[in-house]
Amino acid sequence: MKADVETRPVSASAAAKARGDVLLSVDNVSLSFGGVRALRDVSFDIRKGEIRAIIGPNGAGKTSMLNVINGFYHPQGGIITFKGKRRHDMRPYLAASQGIARTFQNVALFRGMSTLDNIMTGRTLKMRRGILAQAIYWGASQREEIRHRKAVEHIIDFLEIKHIRKTPVGKLPYGLQKRVELGRALATEPELLLLDEPMAGMNLEEKQDMSRFILTVRDTFDTTIALIEHDMGVVMDLSDRIVVLDYGRKIADGTPGEVQRNQAVIDAYLGIPH
Amino acid sequence: MLYREAGQFKSTYAADMAIFPIRQDRMALWLLLAVAFLGVPLLAHFRIWPLGSDYFLRAILIPFLILSLATVGLNILMGYCGQISLGSGAFMAIGAYSTYKFATGVHLPLAWFGTAISIDPLPVLPSILLGGVMSAVVGILFGIPSLRIKGLYLAVATLAAQFFFDWVFIRVKWFTNYTPSGSVAAPEITIFGYVFHTPIERYLLCLAFVAVFAVISKNLVRGNLGRQWMAIRDMDIAAELMGIRPLYAKLTAFAISSFIVGIAGALFAFVYLGAWEPLAFNIDRSFQLLFMVIIGGLGSILGSFLGAAFILILPILLDQGPHALGIPVTVETVSLMVLVVTGALICYLLVVEPLGFARLWSVAKEKLRLWPYPY
Repeated sequence: MKADVETRPVSASAAAKARGDVLLSVDNVSLSFGGVRALRDVSFDIRKGEIRAIIGPNGAGKTSMLNVINGFYHPQGGIITFKGKRRHDMRPYLAASQGIARTFQNVALFRGMSTLDNIMTGRTLKMRRGILAQAIYWGASQREEIRHRKAVEHIIDFLEIKHIRKTPVGKLPYGLQKRVELGRALATEPELLLLDEPMAGMNLEEKQDMSRFILTVRDTFDTTIALIEHDMGVVMDLSDRIVVLDYGRKIADGTPGEVQRNQAVIDAYLGIPH
Repeated sequence: MLYREAGQFKSTYAADMAIFPIRQDRMALWLLLAVAFLGVPLLAHFRIWPLGSDYFLRAILIPFLILSLATVGLNILMGYCGQISLGSGAFMAIGAYSTYKFATGVHLPLAWFGTAISIDPLPVLPSILLGGVMSAVVGILFGIPSLRIKGLYLAVATLAAQFFFDWVFIRVKWFTNYTPSGSVAAPEITIFGYVFHTPIERYLLCLAFVAVFAVISKNLVRGNLGRQWMAIRDMDIAAELMGIRPLYAKLTAFAISSFIVGIAGALFAFVYLGAWEPLAFNIDRSFQLLFMVIIGGLGSILGSFLGAAFILILPILLDQGPHALGIPVTVETVSLMVLVVTGALICYLLVVEPLGFARLWSVAKEKLRLWPYPY
């Protein structure tokens, strides 16, 4: 699987994927905290099946954008359309039930729980048994638990974390925690997966592993991915299209090649002579 | 050497997800149940040491079981869902007084509406369960602030429940059926025509309740609901992103916790005390349960039992110890010494192992697996 994924020319499928339908579109979204304008009239779209990167210098508003998409922040202006429907009054759990999953910049796992339980929480929305059935456990509730355990084991297998299945996640090294967090997001079977700096603080080998997982997730789990990342090598290799933010404004949007040649992007990253 | 799980392979997920996946643990559990359900009653019946007199059953085992049950209830809220509560004494009182009202008949005159609600006295078992339900309803009500406030601030909000219900049960004579002294006596405990009279029978009744609710609690905390609680406890923002509704998770925790605590309160009043006054469920009781949860281990059903045993039984042992060993000290000295030693031991334990007995227990099990090798 590894060789297969890594030798596949990314750009070949990118062209095909980029023609997919629009899954999520953001139109003129503005967000401010008091006097700080975190996002100003940002518009872009994410198409089905693509890997969309959001990049920009520190404080550009990338994480705020993700927080708007999954309902933590409520933008003061603008329209967000997901799966063809305009969204109102978003809450994080509603976003989750509509198929948006997310990982965090600083790992946000449930530290007191094992890897397995962490990933099992991703199945919450799919579990239907009531309190009484769960209190009795044997019978319907147990069958449901086993059914979801099988799905979770599939993800554990895929992410190669079988050996830490029962380990409390607080004890795991950082790289593995990031992987468990990806697993937890995958367990919700999302249509749109938001990754906030999935490779922050990783060494080269861990980055390669994570890149491989991200590509495989897109191809085999049929998931659309939006990611924030600072490692430009990774961003340019992985993503189909890139949107660049700076001081809350969108300054560029396009394929990696286009963005790399864009003067505004170069200026934002390197500064301009005064 | 005896405690090895080598060679015990799980071939189904059901076996892997069992409460006690290790064979030795299962054997120990069956042994414990046999002792509790058969051994203790037999010893007590034939008056064999240490159950030569009713004292051991009546003053140690019965309150231990009931307070363990209350601790399990509080642990669901505090240990699993992470919501600090200082109102558990109030919820015990609600369970006790509701059960009392249901068992003696409810008559609520509603003069404004020109009518009255009357319910004939119910049998004890449904009364106890209804008492739990009433406690759960009030628990949900006092759990609503938890959606906005967290940690110590929430503890203060639950403290309000404690003082409010202390006041209610003293001042509102309706709850005590207008007895002049304010203390009430529980009616006889009759379940399906069988009268629970002797200490052995009462012990078995408590044991049955505790066993059933311990299993229910364990099932809940290892299932979907339990994972939702723990997710809210560990990282509420991420939990919400997994599709967990904080409202649902927190209020179910409050409801189920108060239900169990309420039932424990009913048992405490009916089975252990027999006759009681509101003081039995004051703030001291809340703190006692809080200490049991913390000493036993937050987020552990087994820890609840260990914590209850420590807080309840240690003072009794210290109290009886000098006398049994023939050391000539006055009763006064002993009772002071009990406070000093218990307090010092609690401090020592929390310094050595802040996660309580449950953690000590699991460390011991880890060590035992490898014994006699260091690793």
